[in-house]
Amino acid sequence: MIEAFRLGIYSRGATLWDGVDLAFESGSVGVISGPASSGKTILLSVLRGERQPDAGDVVVSGESLYRGNAAAARSFRASCGHVPDRFADPAGQTVGDLFRLSALAGGGMKESERRERSDRLLAMLGLEGAQDWTLRSLSTSERVRAALAAELLRGPRFLFADCVVETAGTPFREMLGGLFRALAREGNTIVLAERRLPERWEAIAGEAKAAGPFRVYRLQVHPAGSAARPSDPPSTAGNVAGKGGSG
Amino acid sequence: MTGEPSLVWVDWRLAPGSVLRDSLWRLFFLALAAFALLVLLLSGGADRFLASRYAIHAVLRTPLAAGEGEGLARKVAGLPPVRAAVYKDPEASWQEFLLAYPGIDSLRSGAGNPLPGYIEVRLRPDRLTSADIGQVTSALRNVPYVERVLAGEEQLPRLLRWRRWASAFAWGVFGSFAGLFSLLFLLQERVRGISLAGEFVFLAERGVPAARMAAARAAGAALSAILLASAGAVLSAAALRYLLLRYPALEQLVGPPAELLSPRIAAAVAGFILCAAFLAAVSSLIGLRAARAGRK
Repeated sequence: MIEAFRLGIYSRGATLWDGVDLAFESGSVGVISGPASSGKTILLSVLRGERQPDAGDVVVSGESLYRGNAAAARSFRASCGHVPDRFADPAGQTVGDLFRLSALAGGGMKESERRERSDRLLAMLGLEGAQDWTLRSLSTSERVRAALAAELLRGPRFLFADCVVETAGTPFREMLGGLFRALAREGNTIVLAERRLPERWEAIAGEAKAAGPFRVYRLQVHPAGSAARPSDPPSTAGNVAGKGGSG
Repeated sequence: MTGEPSLVWVDWRLAPGSVLRDSLWRLFFLALAAFALLVLLLSGGADRFLASRYAIHAVLRTPLAAGEGEGLARKVAGLPPVRAAVYKDPEASWQEFLLAYPGIDSLRSGAGNPLPGYIEVRLRPDRLTSADIGQVTSALRNVPYVERVLAGEEQLPRLLRWRRWASAFAWGVFGSFAGLFSLLFLLQERVRGISLAGEFVFLAERGVPAARMAAARAAGAALSAILLASAGAVLSAAALRYLLLRYPALEQLVGPPAELLSPRIAAAVAGFILCAAFLAAVSSLIGLRAARAGRK
């Protein structure tokens, strides 16, 4: 569980936000929505343990990320996946290189296993056969889906995604919603930052809670009265992502 | 995937083409440096050449019996600075004299051979110093059979000065080359560090400790430098041995190929390999630091 208490960020001589309280339980999908330049990206980096807040603290499973044991904080970061909203892709780097790097960050993986799993993840995210495509040749939607697939290769327990749903585009919103919920059902914690909650997600989103300039939604992971929604990805989706030891 | 990522060969995993290219250049320059070092160590700069040219002559008072002369030469050869001492009997001396001054055979017809014979003493290349020359000449002067010792003392200071300059010049050239090579190491690591900066940030953001990554990369760079420097040293030693056997005249300048296997040369090559490893490790750390600074 990730809990944030009284978070505050001061930027350019002014308070960006202050007194933000958040909580994301294990096996949940949380969506932080806020307008452009409200500091969503900074908030995600604070929650990931990347940037120390100017006020407040983040606690993961009872351990402070910034004031607690450094090894515990590092271990938390090692179990995180992160899909940023911006990419600086070196010339010649391919989608396959993304997976190679992700596997390295996760402790290494056999070439054949990595290839097989990355092919399945790419296919699941609508990028069949994209292994050898150069990153610069990808559209913004393709790029963000490739990054998500590469993060899922490690089976992260905590996944932070910055404007992924909006960037992926309308055709992929429902699929991504289903994927995130499937991942959450396996016990993973998904934290999304979006400018606004996708319209068709409102039905599965609970009541929004205000937190500073943000509104925080919690998606229903187990829809009432049905085992799976039509928009859910194939049941293997979560297993593919989580395979390899998410715990 | 719960294991710790192995980061020793992280550069190879992330950019194999670049690492291979850098390694080939390194092998080339390390082999070149090892060749230059071996030549310098064997030759001692100009020592080997000067030692092959310089000789001390102990002219005897009277002709000695062959066994007596050779015995005396053996005693002289036992002195630490002496590489070789050869007794030249009166007949050999006369033949050499005739070679140097042809057409004076008539000198011998009246009073017989006027030359009493002499001992030619050659010093070790590394002992061609005024102190060692003084030690040998004073030892020879104390021998009752020796009438005069010709050591070229009036020319000696100039010769030794020239030897020092030649040695300093040779080591200076090698030092400049080593400096240039260090710069190449540094540039390669810096360029690679900057080109992989995004990947390093990616790994750091995902819980890979930056200090461990830096240490592992440095260890990898040192290990690969040990392999490359060893290969370079073996290649250059083989090339030098081939050249010395193929062109025996080079021995006077450089030295005998058998000395390549001497403990002195082996120790120096081990030092060279360790220096290359240290340089590679330091360059790797500096390169990563530059990459981090570039990202800020």
